[in-house]
Amino acid sequence: MRAKLLLGLVALLLAVWVAVELAPRFERWQAYRSPITLSEETVTPRDEARVAESREQAEAARQKPYEEAEYRAFPVIGSRVAVWVAAQLHLLFAAFVLAVPMFALIIEFIGWRTGDKRYDALAYEFTKLLSTSFSFTATLGAMLTFLLIILYPKFINYLAHVFSPTFLFYVLLFFAEAGFLYSYYYGWGKFKPRTHLLLGLGLNVVGTVIMFIANAWLTFMSTPSGIAESGAVLSTWDAVRNYTWMPINIHRIIANVAFGGSVAAAYAAFQFLRAKTAEERAHYDWMGYIGNFVAISALLPLPFAGYWLAAEIYAFSQTMGLTMMGGAFSWLFIIQAVLIGNLFLAANYYLWLGMGRIEGAERFRSYIKYLLIVVTACFMVWATPRSIIATVEEVRAMGGSHHPILGFLGVMSAKNTAVNILILTTYVSFLLYRRSGRIPTVSWAKKGNAAQFLVFAVAAAIVIFFGVYGYFVEAAVRIRFSIPQVMSVLVAMLVVTVIDVFLLRGARSTETRWGQIPDRAQYVLIFLAVTFTWTMGLMGYVRSGLRQHWHVYGVIQDTSPDAFTPTLGFASRVVSVTVLIFFALVGVVFWLASLGGKKMTGEQAAVEPAPLPEPAPPPGGRAHGPEPSPAGPLRGSERS
Amino acid sequence: MKSSVLVNIGLLTLIATGFYTYVGQLVPQKEVYPPEVTELAADMTTEDLVEVGREVVEGKGLCLTCHTIGQSGALRFPDLAGIGGRAGQRVPGLSDLEYLAQSLYEPEAYIVPGFTGGMPQVNRPPVGLTDDEIRAVLAYLQSLGGTPTIDMATVIPYAEGGAAPVPGGEAAAVEATATAAAEEARQQLPGGARAQAQGPAALVEAFQCAGCHQPGGEGAPLAELAARLTREQLLAAVAAHEQLPGGEQLRAAGYGERVTLGEARALADFLAAGGGR
Repeated sequence: MRAKLLLGLVALLLAVWVAVELAPRFERWQAYRSPITLSEETVTPRDEARVAESREQAEAARQKPYEEAEYRAFPVIGSRVAVWVAAQLHLLFAAFVLAVPMFALIIEFIGWRTGDKRYDALAYEFTKLLSTSFSFTATLGAMLTFLLIILYPKFINYLAHVFSPTFLFYVLLFFAEAGFLYSYYYGWGKFKPRTHLLLGLGLNVVGTVIMFIANAWLTFMSTPSGIAESGAVLSTWDAVRNYTWMPINIHRIIANVAFGGSVAAAYAAFQFLRAKTAEERAHYDWMGYIGNFVAISALLPLPFAGYWLAAEIYAFSQTMGLTMMGGAFSWLFIIQAVLIGNLFLAANYYLWLGMGRIEGAERFRSYIKYLLIVVTACFMVWATPRSIIATVEEVRAMGGSHHPILGFLGVMSAKNTAVNILILTTYVSFLLYRRSGRIPTVSWAKKGNAAQFLVFAVAAAIVIFFGVYGYFVEAAVRIRFSIPQVMSVLVAMLVVTVIDVFLLRGARSTETRWGQIPDRAQYVLIFLAVTFTWTMGLMGYVRSGLRQHWHVYGVIQDTSPDAFTPTLGFASRVVSVTVLIFFALVGVVFWLASLGGKKMTGEQAAVEPAPLPEPAPPPGGRAHGPEPSPAGPLRGSERS
Repeated sequence: MKSSVLVNIGLLTLIATGFYTYVGQLVPQKEVYPPEVTELAADMTTEDLVEVGREVVEGKGLCLTCHTIGQSGALRFPDLAGIGGRAGQRVPGLSDLEYLAQSLYEPEAYIVPGFTGGMPQVNRPPVGLTDDEIRAVLAYLQSLGGTPTIDMATVIPYAEGGAAPVPGGEAAAVEATATAAAEEARQQLPGGARAQAQGPAALVEAFQCAGCHQPGGEGAPLAELAARLTREQLLAAVAAHEQLPGGEQLRAAGYGERVTLGEARALADFLAAGGGR
């Protein structure tokens, strides 16, 4: 009863509200009608007022001044995240599109020089991934451009003020790149080899120049030059060649190759896992190995390019450098250490799994556990933070935020030492893998081995010496120690490689059973690709985030609601979403690439079954290995 | 294709990104907002300034990104503990306030031995402190091992309305003025009378100083200048040549711009020694 009463009361109130709210509106809609019917129409004062009102409104609309928007808001996720995701996706696809032609061209060149068609087929298979990726790159680039123009119009206007000549050049080069790419891809087998190689070279050169131009814009934002304090342009060329332009160019070329190799290897892994025949498994095992070899070869020198970039950031602004390494972003490098550590662990693990397919690799198995210990130890040192997140009691117990023992491992002396030893150890892993299937026959083999061991030992000793000595000198001196550490590792890798090349001339090769590798090795390749991508996302964030509340550091301030620097947790979530979107799109690329292959195979199969290319022996190395078996798993005699 | 492969790849991708996202949540979480301008009230005491200065040093000033307070060992930048006490002894001729102001406005002017440069000018972007904020920072720095003296009425060296002090006192200041004037003169006069003049006596003749500086002339006779002005004052008169010590306006204003530093010195020495008789 009480409920009904309440309901009735609510209904009454609602009815009153509706009447009060709607009645006037309804009344306004109705034209005025005189209560008395008149023979001629009469203009009432009310009509005059309404006409006057609408005239005023129209006049006000005509007089409304134009106001240039500084910012506009993107719904739900905000402008910054929208631009962030679009830029990162564009960059990931662009990196892939720039990297794959580099090693595709090299592989094609090897095939041309050796006359081995399998290299040519492999290069083509890599290139198949480019067509769709290029479209995605362009689409995402257009999306990024529109988002920037819509959401940050004033800032984009300023960038155009500084860089407009390069914008036009960029667009023209993009046309050229499209021309080279599609003629390189669709012209495969239709041009003379030299002409086709030249097309590939043109594709690489134009692609690299395009990247250099885009790098000028983004590095200018972080380390501006060539402008007055007011922001007025003094020299566009000086704005282009700012402090971090060339370090970023070099860093990105190397990182792109590492990333592109890893994604190509992931494609091979995907195809390996869905392969139905032993031939397919052998082929994609080999392709995955090559892709991973490219990725890891580029990964090894990457930290050195990173040193250079960081040094230039410090040279531009100590404040920015210290914000990066000791301020708001210092913990980001702990996340990076986890990523890079995983990359090295996974890369080594893949090599060790790969040894299982090589006859004669058993003699190196016992070394793996020691390599694993060293890699893990280096990983742990690198990921050790200087300041530990602890409760108040723990901080009291430690006597500060630095752990009494572990705190010593959180400084650059220890980290530089760890990363250099990590690189050396990974190189040893690769060397053992390379040696697994080959037995030197030169007379000086023992001396050569001893020399290689000595070079490694001396390099490791130099790295450790400077790492320890760094604890006892002033910071200004300590910073310079990274140079001999890096140089000793680089020289050691170079010298050992040269010795190895001569040492293995005429070496006796053992059998490599391509395709006979556990499935988990393929998942390792996919894990590597995901980790590479996540690392690129994270480092993209720090490169851009270092500007903090500046569009152009120290010149054009960001006054938008997104001007603050978000937490690393938030950044991690954005990076993860970007990575997942990227791999969803990469899935489309892989699917389309496999569709193209199916059609070709189907057409050919109607006439004659088309065998997949066999795993490639090295140039000139085939005579030393057994012939591939057409029936069983393919055998190769060599790895790159 | 085996559907389990796609599922496995999808799961692996999700787990890997999930793991890295998790690692990202483990590290300290901090949002950094753009700094706001600190307004100082006209009636703020020195103690108030010290407190505001501490906040600026720890926040907007970004000072502690590089500097430490109370740490020792292999430091990358000078520790600030006790800076208020030793600031007055760092550079001869500069008071503690002048030295500290110089460190903030022109940090490359003096680098503490054992350290390298690279500190940004704090009144310029990206730090961009206002003069008032720097006033507060100066008070705080003075309080670290010293006695803060600055208040709202103190004229801040280097700030808008405050001149840059010159180490070495008045004489050096005169030299510095002469240097600046001579630098302009080098650009303006590539030859002329100076090219023909050899020695201060010839300069006096070339510049026709005696036209005014003679008994009964508009300027004091050259021979009497030594008795009326010191060598430094003579140098200032020759180099700056705007007005004489005491405020007397010089008729030949702008004359100083026509001589080089070496010529000004030579003239000052010559006149101080009683030359021009």
